[in-house]
Amino acid sequence: MRIPGIAFFRRPHDLAAGYALDALDGAELTRFERHLRTCRTCPDEVRGFAATATELGRAAAVTPPPSLKAAVLGAVGALSSARDVDAAIAAVLSAADARIVSGATTAGGTATVVASHSGRTVVFTSTGLPMLPPTSVYELWFIGSGGARPAGLVPPAPAGQVRVTAPVLAAGLTGGDAFGVTVEPAGGVPAPTTTPIVVLAL
Amino acid sequence: MEPIRPGPSPAAAEPGDVDLGALLTLVADGDQAAFETVYDRVAPPVFGLIRRVLKDSAQAEEVAQEALLEVWRTAGRFDPARGSGMTWVLTIAHRRAVDRVRSETASAQREVRAATADVAAGDEVAETVAASLEAEQVRRCLDGLTELQRESITLAYYSGYSYPQVASALGVALGTIKTRIRDGLKRLRDCLGVSW
Repeated sequence: MRIPGIAFFRRPHDLAAGYALDALDGAELTRFERHLRTCRTCPDEVRGFAATATELGRAAAVTPPPSLKAAVLGAVGALSSARDVDAAIAAVLSAADARIVSGATTAGGTATVVASHSGRTVVFTSTGLPMLPPTSVYELWFIGSGGARPAGLVPPAPAGQVRVTAPVLAAGLTGGDAFGVTVEPAGGVPAPTTTPIVVLAL
Repeated sequence: MEPIRPGPSPAAAEPGDVDLGALLTLVADGDQAAFETVYDRVAPPVFGLIRRVLKDSAQAEEVAQEALLEVWRTAGRFDPARGSGMTWVLTIAHRRAVDRVRSETASAQREVRAATADVAAGDEVAETVAASLEAEQVRRCLDGLTELQRESITLAYYSGYSYPQVASALGVALGTIKTRIRDGLKRLRDCLGVSW
């Protein structure tokens, strides 16, 4: 006669059903997952039980509120573009011809640019720029023989002692350009209205 | 106990699942359009299952969002050799719901909600989008189990109870619960004609 729960369940692969239903916790879960790595029959058994649980799950389907779709797709879009920007920034920073240029600004703090002429892009960061009122923004410029072309706005640095601004990726670098920063009305302007606080030769 | 005759196998003949696996491969490469299609396919079971476990629509929406974003972030880990795309997605959803239930400190509140308003209790037939044939077959197969098998599996899967919680809720020895869940799930698997 077998005694349920004592002799019988010493064999961990009998826990496959509970595993598929997420009914194991703590030590039992750890024990079963360890066992799963070496057990020959368990993976197949877990697959069958998990597929069975899937049918139970399908049977519970209800139409979700539209707000769920908006929230999920919105978050995915944001994550995705952040990932694209990160990848583009990483590409500039690791470009074979990447050049780093740094300089103090007349407003205080330091502006740093990594430029890749082959990729025609630059990445701008800064430390210690003074905090601006909400009505103003630091604007970036490619400065060439034909004048200054907008290269983006600097997001406000988080409050703190060091005040490092998030990297800004700017595309459209052409040969002979310098890179400048001005203080402009919030939202930015198409052409600079003030004297640059720093100009970096690339 | 009468043997349960296997019915037609809805799980086996599910062409949508094949596509879901392929779509997940596209999602792993960052394809947002593919993800939207995945969303449309999986959101009803993901949300419905989580709501069934949590018994609370607002919390279910929050946890469903977390689960669906996990699908987006980790689609590269989907391995067709280990199960269908739907199984992979619903495993994520169920684990998230169970984690929430077990971490909920105000579990007493949940018990009250569970007792007073079982959202799955058939008062929302109109909302149920599971193909009625499919849901009907699951119900029929559950009905074919012994009462203890059915109650154990239902508490474990639809309420997120652990083995000891099921044993204590039903006042039955832990070892018995483990046996009943295993035997019941085998019968359910055979009755549903699940292929894997």
